[in-house]
Order: sequence, then C-alpha cells, then structure tokens
Amino acid sequence: MNYLLHILIMINIYMILALSLNLLVGYTGMLSLSHAAFYGIGAYISTLLIMQKGIGFIPAFLLAIAGTTLLSFIISIPSLRLKGDYFVLASLGFQIIIFTILYNWVGLTRGPYGIPGIPRPNLFGIEIDSILSYFIFSGIIAAFCIIFLYLIGDSPFGRVLKAIREDEIAAAALGKNIVRFKIIAFAIAAGFASVSGVLFAGYMRYIDPTSFTLMESIFIVSIIIIGGTGNISGPLVGTALMIILPEILRFLRIPDAIAANMRQIIYGLLIIVILRHKPQGFSGEYRFE
Amino acid sequence: MLIQLLANGIISGCTYALVALGFGLIYNTTRTFHFAHGAIYTLSVYLFYTFFNLWKFPLLAAFILALILIAMLGILVDQILYIPLVKRGSSLLIQMLSSLGFYIVLVNLIAMIYGNETKVLSPGIQPTYNIGSVILTRIQVATGITFVLLFVGLAIILKKTNLGKLIRAMRDNPQLISVLGINPRKIRLLVFSIGSALAAFAAILMGLDVGVDPNIGMAAILNGAVAVIIGGIGNFEGAALGALLLGILQSLAIWKISSRWQEAITFLVLILFLLFRPEGILGKRRRIEETAI
Repeated sequence: MNYLLHILIMINIYMILALSLNLLVGYTGMLSLSHAAFYGIGAYISTLLIMQKGIGFIPAFLLAIAGTTLLSFIISIPSLRLKGDYFVLASLGFQIIIFTILYNWVGLTRGPYGIPGIPRPNLFGIEIDSILSYFIFSGIIAAFCIIFLYLIGDSPFGRVLKAIREDEIAAAALGKNIVRFKIIAFAIAAGFASVSGVLFAGYMRYIDPTSFTLMESIFIVSIIIIGGTGNISGPLVGTALMIILPEILRFLRIPDAIAANMRQIIYGLLIIVILRHKPQGFSGEYRFE
Repeated sequence: MLIQLLANGIISGCTYALVALGFGLIYNTTRTFHFAHGAIYTLSVYLFYTFFNLWKFPLLAAFILALILIAMLGILVDQILYIPLVKRGSSLLIQMLSSLGFYIVLVNLIAMIYGNETKVLSPGIQPTYNIGSVILTRIQVATGITFVLLFVGLAIILKKTNLGKLIRAMRDNPQLISVLGINPRKIRLLVFSIGSALAAFAAILMGLDVGVDPNIGMAAILNGAVAVIIGGIGNFEGAALGALLLGILQSLAIWKISSRWQEAITFLVLILFLLFRPEGILGKRRRIEETAI
C-alpha cells in the first residue's frame, strides 16, 4: 500500500513538472533543458528557509515560488531572444551552471553532502506525517496546479502562446510582444517547477544536487515528448507512463546494477521511436514537426 | 606557472578542437545538432580499450580499427536516425531530440557492458618532455601534433579540393546541391564519417591520457558545441579557435578559482557570447531572413 502511495506521490510531483514544462514546449514551442534547475531551486529555497531561518512551511513554500520566479527572469530575459538550437543550448548552460552552484557552494547548500532531516510540512498546526496524508496533500496541490495551468492554456494568454508556437512573425505582426509573452510563460513554468521542488523536499526529507541534474531535465522533457504536448492530457499520460515504467522493470527482477541503465535505454528508445512515428506523443495535441 | 597552464590549456583545447571540428562540420553542412557525437566520442575510446587493452592488438592496429568502425557508425547514425527525419521534413528540434535519445541509449549500453568505473588505458607514468619551462607528457605532445596535422589536412580538403567545395556549397545552400546533380546524401555520408573520425582521434588521445568512463562524452560534446558557437558558425577555423580559447580559459579558471567551476565557466562564456556576440569570434552577422533556419 505504501509502495503504491509512494508511486502516486511521485506522479503528483512529476505531473506538475511535466505540465509546467508543457507550457513552454507544447504551447510556446520553446524547448528548455533547464527545468530540473528550477525544480531544484524551489526545493533548496524552501528547505533552507525552513531549516536555517525557522520559517513556517507555508511562507517558505510561497517564498520558494516567488524566489524561483524572480530567478527565472535573470535567465529568461537574456536567453529568450535566442531561437531554436541556441535557446536549447543556453537553457542547457543554465541548467549546468545552477547544478554547479548547488554542488559547489558548500557553505550554503552543503553541496554533495545534501541536506538531511528536512521537517515534514506543517499546515496550520497539522503535520503531514503519514504517507497517506502526504499523498492527499500533494494530490490537492497537483490538482490545483492542473486546473491553474489548464486555465492559463485556455485563456487568451494561452492562445497567444500557441500563436507564437505556430508562427512567431505572424504573432508579432498582430502586435504581440513575443519576448514579453515568452518571459512570462517561462516565469510561470519556473514557478510551478518550484512547487514540485517544495513537494519533493518535504516528501523525501533529504535533498542533494544529484536530484536536479541535466539528466533530470532531459527526463522531464522525455515525459512530455512521450505523453504529448500542447494540451493537458498529454503530459499527464506521459507522467503516469514514465513513472510506472521503471517499476515494471523492478517486477521483472532485473538486477539493480543494470536496472538504471536499462531504464535510461528505454527512455532513449522511446524518445527516438515516438519522434519518428508518433510526433504528437500518446495523447498530445501539438505535433512536433 | 602561467606558461605551463597556458600550455595545458592549449593541449586540452586541441582535443576540444577535434571534437568541435567534427561537430561543426556536421552542424554546418546538415544543420543537425549532433548530440550523438558525444556518445560516438565515448564509444571510440571503449572500442580502442577493447582492441588495445583487452585483446592486446598493437597500438596502431587498435587505433585504426577503432577509427574505421567509428566512421562507419557515424554514417549509420545518419542513415537510421537523421535521414528518415529529414525526408519527413521534421524540424531541427526533432533531430536534436532524437540525437539526444540516441546519446542516452548508446552511453547506457556502454555502461551496461563495461561498467561505470573509470578504465585506465595506459598505466604507469608517462615520459615527459621539457620545452623551455614547460613540461609536457608524451600523450600531450602527440595530441598537439595530431591536432595540427588534422587541422591542416581538413583545411586542404575543404579549401583546395572539389569535394571540399561541395561541402561548403551544401553548407551555404543545401537545395542547390541537388540542382547540381549531386546526391546530398553522399556529402552527408562524407561529413558524418570525417566528423566521427575526428572525434575518435580526440577521444582516444584523451583516453590514453586520463582514462575513460561512460560519461565523458557529455562534457566533450558540450565543449565542442560551445566552441563551435563562440568561434563562429559557418567556418571551420572558428571552431578550432573557439576550442583553443575555451581550453585556455578553463585552464586559467583552474588556477584562479577551482576545477569544480570549470563547466559553469564554459557555459558562462557561451551565454556571454550568445548575448553580446551571437555570431561568434569569426562569424559574420547575418540578416534575420538568413538565420531563420
């Protein structure tokens, strides 16, 4: 039962990551490889505030979202003027820079030693102390995020993003400030990624930089490629699939030493096959062309 | 001390340059962001390790065998991965992601077969040479010489031969190539084999120097790609120049700051270039219509 709940909590956390990245990739057509960096920044900001400044869970949660969103501007304002490959490479660069900072600024983040003993979230005096209550808690947050991101996607704002995806020059000709829309979309995506980070830190009660690597960013991208982008169902299907898949490998009794590699190989093959044969993913709206 | 660091930087810049030359050749001609190049880099060291260290082939035979196999693999990747996508008219982003997928598959296969630990290719202490106040190991000297020879060779091929003219023509306008009655796939074949072989040279030299683990390819391809961009897309001297610059900067960073920040510095340089000089050191500024690729 606990095992099942664990998987469901992970699905909740990754659902938010996938949906928020979807806002960039599926709606706006910008492939970002820095999502795990924002995920990590959210986790670190909330954890450090709770553990070092003694701030309560809810204010720390909100400050983590605010901090990550602000930080996203530093990154997005210079790089969103770039197009195509250059943007991808710049986002990858930021991912690596953030990881290097988390890993090497030992004075602040404890670097590779990680931060153990993160307290459980405390909501108005109620401690989320069982795995069941954490599942409910994360589920409520995830549901809220899904609704919010759905509304954004369906709003006039979301339609402008889709217009940018389809034809940037045409959208600009309609008087839309492309770069501004992109910067806002990037900030929203980063803010939601930090929500996942806070949930992750509170659930695991231990964080270290290796949870927020480039491979993690690539994993989040692969979720939405495989599930599909440009709508809400694509990323949800992708998340469920990509989180459950490795668990199936576990039941096949593949030795631990090669299981991690097997998993990566399956992800890689899925990316190649999906892009070749089903560019809208399992349940997406937007066809990558 | 400073001169020694500069020398070390130039030597590691030479290996970056070989990767960057191959990556740049492929990127410029086919517009494919060839992430798989990193996996090809990694595999070439493991092939060499298998032939030389495990099967005890003579050094030169192992080297040549690995080189040929890697050149063939480069062609194969193009045939099975990119050409079907190009035919379908997929965007460059799709090609880039597929390439990333291939990187992940190949690197994890390598890790499954050979394990994750570092393999040492040449045990023992390298003989060293003193050149003035600079001390270089034999492998370092070999790396420098190899780079110079390959660079000159590539320059002659690209600038003086008919083949090179076609490669440059394809870089400037891929459609015109087929109008000339030349199959662009032949040029792709050439570019992918030469590019992959260049990466293999760099990888094996680097492997002999510091050993190999399955993840070395990522840093190699990232350094190579950054070098191509800061050097200037569209001309091959730029890639080499960018790589040498990167090697020197990283080496100075180790001295002034710490080797742990090396990767962050690489990307900081990239981002500064993208912001202030996106056309690179040697690149020409292009009009918006020309850059819409």
